[in-house]
Amino acid sequence: MDALFDQVLVAVLMGVIGAVVFSAIGLISGSDETTTLAPLTLLVVLLGVPAAGVFTFFLAGAVAKHMTHAVPTALLGIPGDTMATPLMREANFLRNLGVPHIALRKMISGAVIAALVAVPLAVLFAVLLAPFGDAIKQAAPWVFLAAATTIAYFSAGRWASVLALLPFVLVILALQTLTGQHGVKLSVSYFLGIAIGPLIAALFAMLAPAERARMKRGERRTFALSPDVKGWGGWFPNPLKVLDRRQAGWTLATATVSSATFVFSPVAMTVILGEVVGSRIKHAYHRLTTVISVRNGVTESTYIAEALIPLIAFGLPLSPVAAGPAAPLFNAPPRFTVDSASGQVNNLHNLLSAGEFLAFGMLAVVIAILIAYPFSMNFAHRAASFVSRRISHEAVIATFVGLILVIGLWEGGLLGLLVILTVGLLGGFLYRFIGFNIGVQFMGYYTAVLSVPAIVALFG
Amino acid sequence: MANDNLYEVWGDTVDSRHLLAAIAIGAACSLGTFFLAEHLLTGWVESSQMARAYAMLLGILGSLLGGGVSACLFKPKRHVVEHVADPAWRQQVIEELRSEYGGIGQLSDLPQEVRNELRELGLDRLFDEAEPGSEAAARTSTSTSTSTATLKRGTA
Repeated sequence: MDALFDQVLVAVLMGVIGAVVFSAIGLISGSDETTTLAPLTLLVVLLGVPAAGVFTFFLAGAVAKHMTHAVPTALLGIPGDTMATPLMREANFLRNLGVPHIALRKMISGAVIAALVAVPLAVLFAVLLAPFGDAIKQAAPWVFLAAATTIAYFSAGRWASVLALLPFVLVILALQTLTGQHGVKLSVSYFLGIAIGPLIAALFAMLAPAERARMKRGERRTFALSPDVKGWGGWFPNPLKVLDRRQAGWTLATATVSSATFVFSPVAMTVILGEVVGSRIKHAYHRLTTVISVRNGVTESTYIAEALIPLIAFGLPLSPVAAGPAAPLFNAPPRFTVDSASGQVNNLHNLLSAGEFLAFGMLAVVIAILIAYPFSMNFAHRAASFVSRRISHEAVIATFVGLILVIGLWEGGLLGLLVILTVGLLGGFLYRFIGFNIGVQFMGYYTAVLSVPAIVALFG
Repeated sequence: MANDNLYEVWGDTVDSRHLLAAIAIGAACSLGTFFLAEHLLTGWVESSQMARAYAMLLGILGSLLGGGVSACLFKPKRHVVEHVADPAWRQQVIEELRSEYGGIGQLSDLPQEVRNELRELGLDRLFDEAEPGSEAAARTSTSTSTSTATLKRGTA
């Protein structure tokens, strides 16, 4: 009994820490999920926090971030993170109509409803898929190869991305061989390099005269901060009253659909489901508010399902979220490992049962809602004003540079740093010029680690 | 205030001199705490792996500290203006909505709760006037406007 109590206590505590930290990070525009969730979750894993605590930290963090990212998106017109980009159009229309507070409230209410239904649905789908788990584990190398090709084809680069997988995988294999000769085995450095690639590419471009001339700006960017109107009494407005009945219905329906489609890119699902719903609503205002609620709901439900289903059913990172921001839940050597040859896994998949995933998942979602929802409902304007007036972009970049240096040196000394730099520069430029996006790069990494040994074994 | 050193990096504007200084501060703070913590903890924590993990945690806190120092030293290169809805902008939104798939639509198609929401926001007039077809007919008779809406969808 005491052990259970301790476990729940740790889970609650880590959930609260995750929700508070990521509520704050969500306010900073451009703070990508992968660059923030992956390293901090990894840290929690390596510090030896019990399994339940690792899980609630990650999930409460992801859910909270996808609520507070609505603040810069609605009030400043800049996307809070990658998942907020599909919401920009509707958010800007509502902002220019002079009702950004409506955009904000609809978004976070959609998020609350979707997050609450996504956890039980994801656990249900995972349990249904689990019987196929062994077959999939056997075939894992080939599944990853197929998934990498598919995700590459559906990225902006299309065939260019599919073909670019070859040299990208080759570079990763070459780097692994090089570090292996010096007895250094890296994984986090690759993740961080991929996730932070666009920043590394931008900093290199600054040093090249021609590119620098292109990046030059004549004046400061102007942001119009919208006023905030509080339209309710009390602290915790009922999300079902903020949305009308049809909006709540569409949010529930799309959350259900997106909980099942865990292998697709979360951004793509957000765009597609928003279009489907939008085409069914006749009035323009109602279309704007419904699409924005639905889309932000989908940002929550796809994230939850894409992390939970592969984790519970297979223990293998078989979705874009599982391969990216949720990667440390699967693979964080020496504590969590995925063995390439045998498909043997040792991670949260083995440490928690489906029932525990459901219970701790709901706990994490409820904690995130209790913290992020009233915060973004009541302090949105003040928070957006503080971030845009006080936190300079230089400071954000300085923090990330510090992060790269520490993680690189910690994992592999100078070699770790060089790997982050190499992978980041290559990935960043491939993304910038041919649309070989971060999700494809993560799948490329897994292809190198999991598929290539199988291919070599087949032909060797 | 003219500034010749503004560049767009990673999605926002920075001053190149400030960026350089901020990166130096970030590197110094994070590496400083990391190496110091590693040096002090190796003798103190029994497992050397845990000592390194704690040193990493402190190093990350150090990079946050570096970010904090940079935020104090360098102000954001943004113009933040309090934005009040401009009637011209509203009209522009209406024009853009009209040209997209589905058009503006009829107020009478909306459930009562959404019409109330529009009235509270003071947007009902705007959308009412933007409705396609005869304004008077749409405003006076709900039944006929529903049927014209159906017709319009048929032809769209």
